[in-house]
Amino acid sequence: MNMLLLPILIPIAAAIVVLLVPQKAKKLKDALVLAGTLANLVVTIMLFKKDLAFSVPWVGFGFEFSLRIYCFSAFIISAAAFFGFLLALYANAFASQKNYSKSFSAYLLITLALLNGAVLANNLLLMLFFWESLLITQFGMIMLGGMQAFKTATKAFIIIGVSDLCMMVGMALYGNISGSFAFSNAASLTGLGGLAFVLLMIGAIAKAGSMPFHSWIPDAAVDAPLPVMAMLPGALEKLLGIYFLTRISLDMFRANPSSWVSYMLMIVGAITIVFAVMMALVQKDYKRLLSYHAISQIGYMILGIGTFVPVGIIGGLFHMINNSMYKCALFLTGGSVEKQAGTTNLEKLGGIGRNMPITFACFLITALSISGVPPFNGFFSKELVYDGALERGWIFYAAALIGSFFTAASFLKLGHAAYLGKRPQDKDNVKEAPYQMLIPMILISLACIVFGLWNILPIKFLIQPVLGVERLEGHNYYGFPSNMLLVAATAVVLIAAFLNHIYGVRKAGKGLGAVDHIYHAPILSGIYKTQAKGRLDPYNITLNMTKIFAAAASRIDKAVDWTYNVLIVSIAKAIIDTIRKAHNGNYKNYIAWSLAAAAAIVILMIRGLHA
Amino acid sequence: MQTNVLLAIVFVPAIGSFLLPIAGRISEKLRNCLALLLVLTPLIGSAFIMPMIAAGEKITIMHGLPLGFDFILTADQLAVFMALVSSLISAIIILYSFGYIGHYKNRNEYYFMVVLFVGAMMGIIYSGNLIYLYLFWEITAITSWRLIGFFREKEHVMKADKAFLVTFFGAICMLIGFIYIHQLTGSFDMVVIKNSLKGNPIPDIIVMLILFGILSKSATLPFHTWLPDAGVAPSPVTALLHAALLVKIGVYVFARLFVVTFSFSVMWHTIIPVIAAISALVAAGAALVENDMKRIIAYSTVSQIAFILLGLSVGGEIGIAGALLFILMHGLAKGGLFLCAGIVEQNAKTKDITKMGGLIATMPITAISFLACAFSVMGVPPFGGFFSKYLVFSGAVSSGHTWIAMTFLFGSLLTIIYLFRIFNAIFLGEGVIKVREGSKTMVFSVALLAILSILGGIYINYPSQFVQGAVKQMLGL
Repeated sequence: MNMLLLPILIPIAAAIVVLLVPQKAKKLKDALVLAGTLANLVVTIMLFKKDLAFSVPWVGFGFEFSLRIYCFSAFIISAAAFFGFLLALYANAFASQKNYSKSFSAYLLITLALLNGAVLANNLLLMLFFWESLLITQFGMIMLGGMQAFKTATKAFIIIGVSDLCMMVGMALYGNISGSFAFSNAASLTGLGGLAFVLLMIGAIAKAGSMPFHSWIPDAAVDAPLPVMAMLPGALEKLLGIYFLTRISLDMFRANPSSWVSYMLMIVGAITIVFAVMMALVQKDYKRLLSYHAISQIGYMILGIGTFVPVGIIGGLFHMINNSMYKCALFLTGGSVEKQAGTTNLEKLGGIGRNMPITFACFLITALSISGVPPFNGFFSKELVYDGALERGWIFYAAALIGSFFTAASFLKLGHAAYLGKRPQDKDNVKEAPYQMLIPMILISLACIVFGLWNILPIKFLIQPVLGVERLEGHNYYGFPSNMLLVAATAVVLIAAFLNHIYGVRKAGKGLGAVDHIYHAPILSGIYKTQAKGRLDPYNITLNMTKIFAAAASRIDKAVDWTYNVLIVSIAKAIIDTIRKAHNGNYKNYIAWSLAAAAAIVILMIRGLHA
Repeated sequence: MQTNVLLAIVFVPAIGSFLLPIAGRISEKLRNCLALLLVLTPLIGSAFIMPMIAAGEKITIMHGLPLGFDFILTADQLAVFMALVSSLISAIIILYSFGYIGHYKNRNEYYFMVVLFVGAMMGIIYSGNLIYLYLFWEITAITSWRLIGFFREKEHVMKADKAFLVTFFGAICMLIGFIYIHQLTGSFDMVVIKNSLKGNPIPDIIVMLILFGILSKSATLPFHTWLPDAGVAPSPVTALLHAALLVKIGVYVFARLFVVTFSFSVMWHTIIPVIAAISALVAAGAALVENDMKRIIAYSTVSQIAFILLGLSVGGEIGIAGALLFILMHGLAKGGLFLCAGIVEQNAKTKDITKMGGLIATMPITAISFLACAFSVMGVPPFGGFFSKYLVFSGAVSSGHTWIAMTFLFGSLLTIIYLFRIFNAIFLGEGVIKVREGSKTMVFSVALLAILSILGGIYINYPSQFVQGAVKQMLGL
């Protein structure tokens, strides 16, 4: 058996074994899921630095079951395996009392297998097969949140499902244009090529959680179990979506900075950064606040890759891995707070930093990372994205900077409201989380520091090879940012965010109110209130438009039905009635009919003779 | 030997069905077993001749009769594929009927009609002569007329009449088209017709006449409204009519005539996809508005049949392969949906989805099977529907119908929304009524269809290999 099949088969096999374990044998299940994810991690590391391919006949018509591993796919699957293992460890403790523990473990393993398959696939249809299968695991995992979660699960399914369908048509188009369903034939972006790019891009950015495909994530933050959030929107979906976006941009199309798709991507990225972070700012729930950041940060990656200049792409990819790390860890700290303090509502929290010092420390490191404070990893990737954005236009850079300001402001608010300040009395006895939950957070936080201080490691060995020697033109992008002006601008923004926080806290008198002055600002407050009613949710808007269409279609259908039920029937009746009237038993009528018929025959015969 | 098997495939169910009312007088069990056996005959028979057919050979039976009424049965890859699919699904439906129909009167007639229907269907599939094709076609119309009006209520009988009249009108048009072809070529024998036309397109008026027949049978706009109305029939019958067999007859004959036997002028390569696109969208929209679960699934069928028609009409290997796989996958999944709806209807005593909710708590297997079949209809992997949907899209795009494909993309969006609407309304949310799970054979049948749907996706290489061969043979490559 080929080694490339192992990353798909091992987790699937482990999932089946986990499902077979009886509900009561909790310890056995915990051990099995750990073993499965660990084996997956080991295999992906063993596959690292290898360039292997595998192919067997499959559907026919040029669709082979072909897998390939090279530097980029190896990077993504080993990162995913790393998160998978830590999440398994965390979830074992987090969900130990919950009855969904076993299902979650199985879903986690299957998700890893499907992700590995999607990343390793070297044929578009095979990739879509694995990629779209994730719909079902995602649906199932959100459903673990209880009987009320189905609305969110459906919403997520519809949004991602529709974007996957777009991808399906995009792939068909791409295959037709480029003549191959492998990744390597660069197609042009003119005409139908552009349509193909847009359709494929929709699939990629929707999976990553970009606007306007984002609105299920904040809902899931409330309804789905926390490990699901840390896993899907937190880490794995970002990896997968950005992986594919990079593949279509670099390998499948001849995209360069002057093409219109570059502007499209940068605009999507900039809008996502700003709007999502504005929403994050005013949230009053730990998990919901994080979920909006999960959306906002994807904007930086799309903006970075959309610049189509090497520094931007490297920044985007570096931001992808950094964000997966700190966002995952931030969700995990949220989970610790939820489990230990019993709530994630910021109004009921406060001052628990003293009770949970390690969780607090991990929160601090990761919050500083996401805010882009040196020397943590987020700083370096954001600077690269800024560099690329500025090269393409000051407006994109400005959007990114505004995003940074509000990111910092909202994490100041979150940290202040949850960990510092006055502690509610019922939270006095809150204890630190168990070690199985702390270890993943600590490891990821340490990795954030390592990826910051020694950013040469990820950039040189993981990311630069993705672009290849040709695109890099001898440049290296690790080390401290070369453009000191950009660093100075970042410093100003961060200090401004801090001052804003102090002003807000003074004004409102508590940490949670630190951004109230922004919430109540003119114009903004109106937008916030409309948003709160769900009127700005693209999903709701689309669904309403669909309903209008459906009503119109149904009218057409009823009209067609009416012609059968009423029109044709009444015409038939009218004809029958007319004929019946003619047959009234009056012999004069019958004679008249006969004479008329005879006359007709005579006329016809005469005409026939003439002819 | 092979020729006898072919005869048995058609005539064992067709003639054997007349024994069922007699068997029913003796014992219920005997009749049920006999019915299953009669339906298994075409399944086993087709499986028996499959290896030979798959190798590229054809089996032909021919009895010369005057006036072009030669009796011809031909088994090629397309026919065997279609026969296997439809007899497999009808066997499962018969199994389900054991649990379902036991509650109602006129059981003898029910089995008689269903088995006769299956026999006539086999006749259509294997027929090599247009006149016999028409003959079997009308037998299916008569049996389905009887089956839709099965419960004898006045309204039901009227709906049965509607279904019969619409399809009969189409069939008569088709017959005129056949006679027209006889005028042109001097034969009803498909092989002779094919050879005498030498690849030239047939006149547009014939295409139109035959299309009336096909579209009315396969419930495509504007001849579709009889199908949602036919939902008053017993559930296994609606499954049989809507999902597995009746509507597929239309698309099968389309493939048999317009892909294998004749060719039509270029404009039909655009007209038919446009008709299909309108049909897909209008029906999907209607499915989103209806509240009767069987009507929703029926509209969904109208919408999905359009995909098959699209795949067949755009021309090209991939589209046709996609359409054939679609017939298989959609038959399995949609049959499953109807049978699940039947379980729900029988136990909840209503078809109105607004009066249901939370049924997953008491009928988990039905709920999961429903969801699995819905996933397959949506085209979500690893279910089989994914591949068929993709190939149809691919076929449409590669023949230059990009905008038609975009329309179908919107249709697929609606598919996801209405299937979730119906699933959520029936199985999730607040429970309003207490409902118990269906009988063992019924639940087994729906679970089997769901499992087959997923196996069809995971082991896609087996059906797709066969379909590839069939497409090559159909196009004469």
